Amino acid sequence: MSARPAGDFKIGYRQDMAILHTAFFRWGFLLLVAALLAAPLWLGNRIFLLTTIGIFAIGATGLALLTGFTGQISLGHAAFMAIGAYSSAVLTGALRVPFVAAIPLAGLVAFALGAFVALPSLRIKGLYLAIATLAFQFLTDYTIIHAVGEGLGAISVRAPRIGPWILRGETAMYYIVLTVWLAGGVFAANLVRTRIGLALMAVRDRDYAAQVLGINLLAYKALAFGLAAFYAGIAGGLWASYNRLITPEHFTITQSIDYVAMIVMGGLTSVWGPHLGAAFVTALSQGLKIVTPTLVTIAPSFGKIATPLREIVFGGILIALLIWEPGGLAMLLRKLKRYLDLWPFGY
Amino acid sequence: MAEFIAGGLVNGLAVGSIYALIALGFALLYKSTKILNLAHGELVLFGGYLAIGLTHFLPFPLAVFLTLVAAGLLGFAVERVVMRPLFGQPVLSVIIVTLALGYIVRGVMVGLWGGATRQFPTVLPTGTVAIGGLVIQRVGVYSAGTALLLLLIFWLFFRYSLVGIAMRAAANDQLTASALGVSLRRVFAYAWAFAAIAAAVGGVLLGLWLGVNFALGSVGLKALAAVILGGLDSIPGAILGGLAIGVTETTIGGYIDAHIIYGFKDIVAFVVILVVLMIRPYGLFGTEHIERL
Repeated sequence: MSARPAGDFKIGYRQDMAILHTAFFRWGFLLLVAALLAAPLWLGNRIFLLTTIGIFAIGATGLALLTGFTGQISLGHAAFMAIGAYSSAVLTGALRVPFVAAIPLAGLVAFALGAFVALPSLRIKGLYLAIATLAFQFLTDYTIIHAVGEGLGAISVRAPRIGPWILRGETAMYYIVLTVWLAGGVFAANLVRTRIGLALMAVRDRDYAAQVLGINLLAYKALAFGLAAFYAGIAGGLWASYNRLITPEHFTITQSIDYVAMIVMGGLTSVWGPHLGAAFVTALSQGLKIVTPTLVTIAPSFGKIATPLREIVFGGILIALLIWEPGGLAMLLRKLKRYLDLWPFGY
Repeated sequence: MAEFIAGGLVNGLAVGSIYALIALGFALLYKSTKILNLAHGELVLFGGYLAIGLTHFLPFPLAVFLTLVAAGLLGFAVERVVMRPLFGQPVLSVIIVTLALGYIVRGVMVGLWGGATRQFPTVLPTGTVAIGGLVIQRVGVYSAGTALLLLLIFWLFFRYSLVGIAMRAAANDQLTASALGVSLRRVFAYAWAFAAIAAAVGGVLLGLWLGVNFALGSVGLKALAAVILGGLDSIPGAILGGLAIGVTETTIGGYIDAHIIYGFKDIVAFVVILVVLMIRPYGLFGTEHIERL
C-alpha cells in the first residue's frame, strides 16, 4: 500500500544531506508554502494568528540554533528581541532609515550585542551561562524602561513603507513576515548542514573536544550567540512594525521563557522544531483566550483561576513533554510517521 | 551620610538574614541534587500565600505550622513526581522543568488568592524600635531573630542528626555515599522538602514585613544572586551571600535609587550576579570546577 521505501536506501551524499528526503515531503512542503501564501483567503481576519506565529517562529529559530544546535542555554532571548524592536523603531523613526534597510540593520545591532554577550561564554558555561543571560534579560529591561519614553519605555513606530507604498493592514504585514519567515527558516535549515552547523554541533557535544579538532571556540560561540540575537532582532523589528507601539512588557522574562518553551515543545534538535513550537505555543495561548470565557460562564467558580490558567497549562505541558517525550513535537511526528510507515503490521 | 550607611547596614542585615535563609535552601538543594531550582522564588510565594490564606481560619502559629508541613509535602511531591523521572537528564531539561514548576505553583497560588497585596493580621507588636540610636522596624528585628534561630537549628540538624549527616555525605560525593548505604532518593527527597520549608519560612517572614503579593516570587532571584556570590555549592557562602545582598541592596542600591536613578534597588541583585560571574564564576566559597577532556 505504501510507495515509500521500507528503510534508508540512500546511495549518495546529496541524498543523505537532503532536507526533504522523499518526493512526499517535497510535494508536502510545496503544498505547505502554497497554503501559507494563500492564507489570507482561507483564514480571513484571523490572519493575525499566522503573523504572530511567523514572528515568534523567526525568533525561536534563532534560539534553536543557539540552544538546540550549539548547546548554549539562553534565558534572555527576549532581550535581543527588545534590542531589535527598539533599534528598528529608532532607525525608522528618528533616523528616517527605510523599512527594508532598518529591519536587517536592527538585526545587525542585535548580532553585535549578542556576539558581545557571548564573550564570557568561554569562561562561564551551562548553569552559570543561563544565570548570566537571565541577569542580562533583567538589566536590558531596566535600561530600556529608564532610557526610552520618559520612564515608561514606550515608543511608537512608523508604519512600514517599501518604496512608495505605505504598508497598512494585516495582509501586507503578513506577507512581509511570511517572506522573512521562509527565508530565515530555509537559511537555518541549510546552515546546520554546512561546516558552520557541524562545528556548532561539535561545540554542543563537547566543547573542548571540538577545540582540539581545530574549531575556534570563541568564534563559534560568538557566532551562535550573534546569529540567535540576529534572528531575535529581526523578529523584534517585525514585531515593532506590526504592533506600532512597543513597550518593555512585550519583552520580559516571561517572553524569554516562552521562547525556551517553544523550542522545547517543538523539538530541540530539529529544524522543524521552532516552527512547530511557535505554532503550538501561539495556538495554545489564543485557544486558552477563547476557551476561558466559555469555561467561566459554565462554572463561575472557575473565574479566579482563569487569569493564571495559561501559566498552569504551559507548566503542565512542559513538564509532561520533558518527562515523556524530550524530543518534542518534531519527535512525536517522526514516531507517528514511523508507525504509519509500517501500519498495520508494526513489528 | 554616616547615619544612612549605619541604618542601611542594620536594615540590610535584617532583610539579608531572610535572604540568607532562602538562599540556604537553594544552596543545599544544589549541593545535594545538582539542580538549579529556578522555582525557588515560587516556593517562597507558596509559603507566604498559603500562610496568609490559612490565617483566615486558624490562629497564626497553627497556620504557619501547617504551611511548613504543606511546604515539606510539596517538596516530597516535586521530587517524586517531577524530578525523579528526569534524573540524569541534560541541564537544560532540568532548568526548564523547574521553570515550569514555578509557573504551576505561581499559577495555582495567584489563581486561588489573587495577585493583590494582603497583610497578615497583626500578630506581632508593630512600630519601630531604636537600637543604639538607629531606628528599625520591629518586624525586621523579629524576622532577623527567627532567621538566625532557624539557621542555628539547621546547622545543628546537619551537624548531628543521622539524616543530616547522610545528606552531607551525599552532597560531598554521591557515588561513595551511595556505596556506603545512603539512599540517594531519600536524600534528594529530603533536600527538596528542606528547600521548600526554608523558602516557605522566608515567604512568611517577608510577608510579615512587606505584605504578601505575587512579587514575592522575584525574591528567588535575590536568593540566586546570594548563592552565586557565595558559591553555588557552599552553605556558609549562601548565608554570607544573603547578608551581603541584603546590605548591598539597602545601602548602595538605596543610595543610587534615591539620588541617581529610580528603581535601581531591584536590579542590584542582577548587577552582583553579572559582576561575580565575570570575576569569579564559582563564587566566594564555591568549589572551583576544573574541566577535563
